[in-house]
Amino acid sequence: MASILISSSEEFSGKSSICMGLGKIFQENGLKVGYMKPVGNLLIDVHGSLTDEDSEGIKKLLGIEDPAKYITPIHLTDSLIDDALKGVEKDLDERLQEAYSVVSKDKDIIFIEGTGGIGGGSMYGLSDPEIAGKLDTRMLLVTRFDSISAVDRILCDMRIIGNNETLTGLILNEVPLNMADRVNDIVVPFLEKKGIKVFGVIYEDDTLRSVFISEIVEDLHAEVLVAPDKLDQLVEHYLVGAMEVGSAIKYFRRQPNSVVITGGDRADIQMAAIDSRVKCLILTGNMRPSGAVLASAEEAAIPVILVRGDTMNTIERMENLIGHAHIKQQVKLDRVVELLKNHLDIPAIAESIGVEING
Amino acid sequence: MLERMFDPNSVAVIGASRKEGKVGRAVLENLMQNSELTIVPINPGADEILGLPCYPSIMDVPDDKKVDLAVIVVPAKFVPQAIDECGQAGVGNVIVISAGFKEAGVEGARLERECISLCEQYGIDMIGPNCLGIIDTASGLNASFAANMAYEGNIAMMSQSGAICTVTLDWAERIGVGFSKFISLGNKATLSENDFLKMFEEDDTTAVIAAYLEGVKDGPEFIKIAQRVSRSKPIIIVKSGRTSVGSRAVSSHTGTLAGSDAAYNAGFKQAGVIRADSLEEMLDHSRAFSVCPLPEGRNIAIVTNAGGLGILTADACYNAGLSIASFEESTVERLREKLPPAANFYDPVDVLGDAGADLYAHALDAVLDDINVNGIIVLVSPQSMTDVPGIAETVAKKIQQSKKPILCNFAGGSRIAAGEDVLNSYGIPNYSSSERAVASMNALCNYFTIKKRKQEEPEKLNCDVKAARSFIDTASEGKRRTHGLESLDILKAYDIPVVDSRIAKTLPEAIKAADDMGYPVVMKILSPDISHKTDVGGIRLNLKHADDIERAYNSMMSDVRHYMPDATVTGVQLQKMVSGGKEVIIGMDRDPQFGPLLMFGLGGTYVEFLKDVSFAVAPISASEARHMVSSIKTYPLIAGVRGEASSDIDSIIQTLLKVSQLVTDFPEILEFEINPLMVMPEGQGCVAMDIRFTLDS
Repeated sequence: MASILISSSEEFSGKSSICMGLGKIFQENGLKVGYMKPVGNLLIDVHGSLTDEDSEGIKKLLGIEDPAKYITPIHLTDSLIDDALKGVEKDLDERLQEAYSVVSKDKDIIFIEGTGGIGGGSMYGLSDPEIAGKLDTRMLLVTRFDSISAVDRILCDMRIIGNNETLTGLILNEVPLNMADRVNDIVVPFLEKKGIKVFGVIYEDDTLRSVFISEIVEDLHAEVLVAPDKLDQLVEHYLVGAMEVGSAIKYFRRQPNSVVITGGDRADIQMAAIDSRVKCLILTGNMRPSGAVLASAEEAAIPVILVRGDTMNTIERMENLIGHAHIKQQVKLDRVVELLKNHLDIPAIAESIGVEING
Repeated sequence: MLERMFDPNSVAVIGASRKEGKVGRAVLENLMQNSELTIVPINPGADEILGLPCYPSIMDVPDDKKVDLAVIVVPAKFVPQAIDECGQAGVGNVIVISAGFKEAGVEGARLERECISLCEQYGIDMIGPNCLGIIDTASGLNASFAANMAYEGNIAMMSQSGAICTVTLDWAERIGVGFSKFISLGNKATLSENDFLKMFEEDDTTAVIAAYLEGVKDGPEFIKIAQRVSRSKPIIIVKSGRTSVGSRAVSSHTGTLAGSDAAYNAGFKQAGVIRADSLEEMLDHSRAFSVCPLPEGRNIAIVTNAGGLGILTADACYNAGLSIASFEESTVERLREKLPPAANFYDPVDVLGDAGADLYAHALDAVLDDINVNGIIVLVSPQSMTDVPGIAETVAKKIQQSKKPILCNFAGGSRIAAGEDVLNSYGIPNYSSSERAVASMNALCNYFTIKKRKQEEPEKLNCDVKAARSFIDTASEGKRRTHGLESLDILKAYDIPVVDSRIAKTLPEAIKAADDMGYPVVMKILSPDISHKTDVGGIRLNLKHADDIERAYNSMMSDVRHYMPDATVTGVQLQKMVSGGKEVIIGMDRDPQFGPLLMFGLGGTYVEFLKDVSFAVAPISASEARHMVSSIKTYPLIAGVRGEASSDIDSIIQTLLKVSQLVTDFPEILEFEINPLMVMPEGQGCVAMDIRFTLDS
């Protein structure tokens, strides 16, 4: 049985997507895949039990049947932190080992997802390198390449890991297209010269950044006023309609696949959004629009959703949602798999983990 | 067209009611004012209403009462069924007065679509829904729930607001203004202002067309029709939703975009429409057109019995662009013959405060005969000895016989009321202020120009549409909608000169490009995310050698990263430095109502601050392009001031025409801008320095 710990220096770097995508690819190659996220930090209540949101999503999409309590045996609660700081023994290592032995049973490979950043969890002895050591597994680093300073982060991560042998290699994720040449021509050769194997470069992808309108409705606790059958569309950007209508039309036209946030009393902005064929209208402040506007939205098949929060509050929620959405839908999983197949050296990853796959 | 809608033999009221206060009763009573009309009430719950036999359905009406027009007043949800039955019964015209359609929401919009589809299926012409109805004074039809019937007249009025119909009718009744036709447009589900403009054009009883609109349904079609109609009949329109708050109200009210006011101004101007700023002004102008011949020039004579009023009016004329007439010597002599020595014999003619009707008649005769006078404004102030009704009687008679327009301002309150009554009895308007009279005189003068203008069709230019098509198709492949400098070559397909330029992705490439092109050069940031390059340090001018390039490149990248860290930067563009020209801007915004709205102004970084721009809806003719260039306030700066050489204006006009053609050929271009277009001195052409456009997805 082989295993690998997927780690990164920062949150929202794409660890879950990589676990999910590689898991799917390895399943397609006939391998029995297991998964665990030892320390759950995105806690949700599923049928009366606390579990981690990432774990729950991956468990479902990969069809893993192991009980959630073993997939994520430790929950990052306030009391866990307090006890760690007070020196209260919680037998975390035993729980980790027990869970690992359950989820690895009858599996060919286990993907272990780190929690947050690479050094996170040091206070209770469960940072990513520590977990790797305890489970005797190697690490695969995923770094979101938002700027050239990502190179600094990678080199720092290497120091945290300490032992070069522990790291199998690196995936550069969400690389902006305009930096592609620089990354491929300069950054990758530099890292390889430093002894870091780069398994591939994945570019920013609008589908993965995007969020379903239905997720927005759920997250904002919104009321759908028209076009409830059009919520299965992806939105890539949010725009705020707070300007005069002439500027609004230009602004909306330039960003395809957008959702527009505006006040319920801004009929001009609402009509500009409908005319510009945006994907969805979010009306804030619980102010219902006029019937005529709703009728136009319905004719244009554009969902109009009503939220109680004010515009600022709604913007904050959207900021957290777009680009940070968890992969819950098949369409996004399919896209992840496609990207990984196209941009990663999968056989090299398999070989570094110690499994064999066909191509 | 729509003949039986406005002149039916038999009219059915679907939803007729005997209950007082019900719309179904009001419509029936209004129709019954015409004794020659066959009126058929439809109501399944009644055998007769107001003495008329009533039928349960339109389909039950006997053949000898064959219905030409059905007025529908039943609740919205029953309207589609009523239209369906009209179709089955062979009724060709319906007016849907009932509300509760698109203006009310989603369910109403569904009902409206159902009505439209039924009308298409049966070939029915429909006015409304959500309207007051129609009035035709020539046929004696009042198919509305208005409180009163209009007087006969030659003004055709249509309104997108039912309430404005009733307000206008009430006002008109008090002062005796008549109409040929009166149409409440409602939601304009099928028939719109465009259909009625065509109808008014052919209608012999209509001489003047007035309208209150919140928007036009099909802007380009509107321009085409109105351009033709305005050559034979004046069209005066008051269009609401001009301001941000007004346009918000229009959107909320109708579920449409109000459209930019600049587009309406441009579209109306090209269509020959006279735009009124208020309902009052629309009615003022309509009445002037209704009774006055057109002035053949802009020289106005003022005849007054009060010096102050005369001066105010002269000021108003000047501000409106009208001239105060210079009288012929013989006119002055004639005035001297009868007016007191203290009178003023030049324009404004002051007949003095004690003047009676005879002096007014003499002064009017003298100035009317003057070849230098095209129109007259008569001012009357009430002194103790002023015979207001007598003067009104005299002036009214002169107006009726005159071949030149005469507008009146009997100024005051209760003491001029008798004069106003006399004028009203002749159908002649009295303007409550000289400014209002001047505004209407100006409208008459403007219409004279509109009527005389030659119709010039936009010329189809010979451009490489194929090359542009392939360029746009390639640009559309990516997800990005907005394109900038990297797309400068699209202009070449339309033969618009562009600056010699190279694209460089790195500093060494930039230095090589500049070395190849020859110095001095300009460096511009290449980024589809940056529209205002100057604001983020994205332009460096007059770079003379490689060291300049290196400094400019490094500092530009640093600046851009600082000001717009998230912008996608694809490199820089090196342009040959062009000097000695003037910067202008040519742009286009696709307006929701009118389509491609071209814009011209002085360019460069000051354009957004100066806002000195002109607009026209594409496609434009050469004379419209010329007018766009010459109508900006800063035109003298292009034409050359204080001995300065003129810029190459013809090359601007040519570029405007080419851009007009480009944005007409490619409706997927939503926004387009050449800024700056560097215009060289006369005879040396122009060159596009930068470009930005947005494509539809």
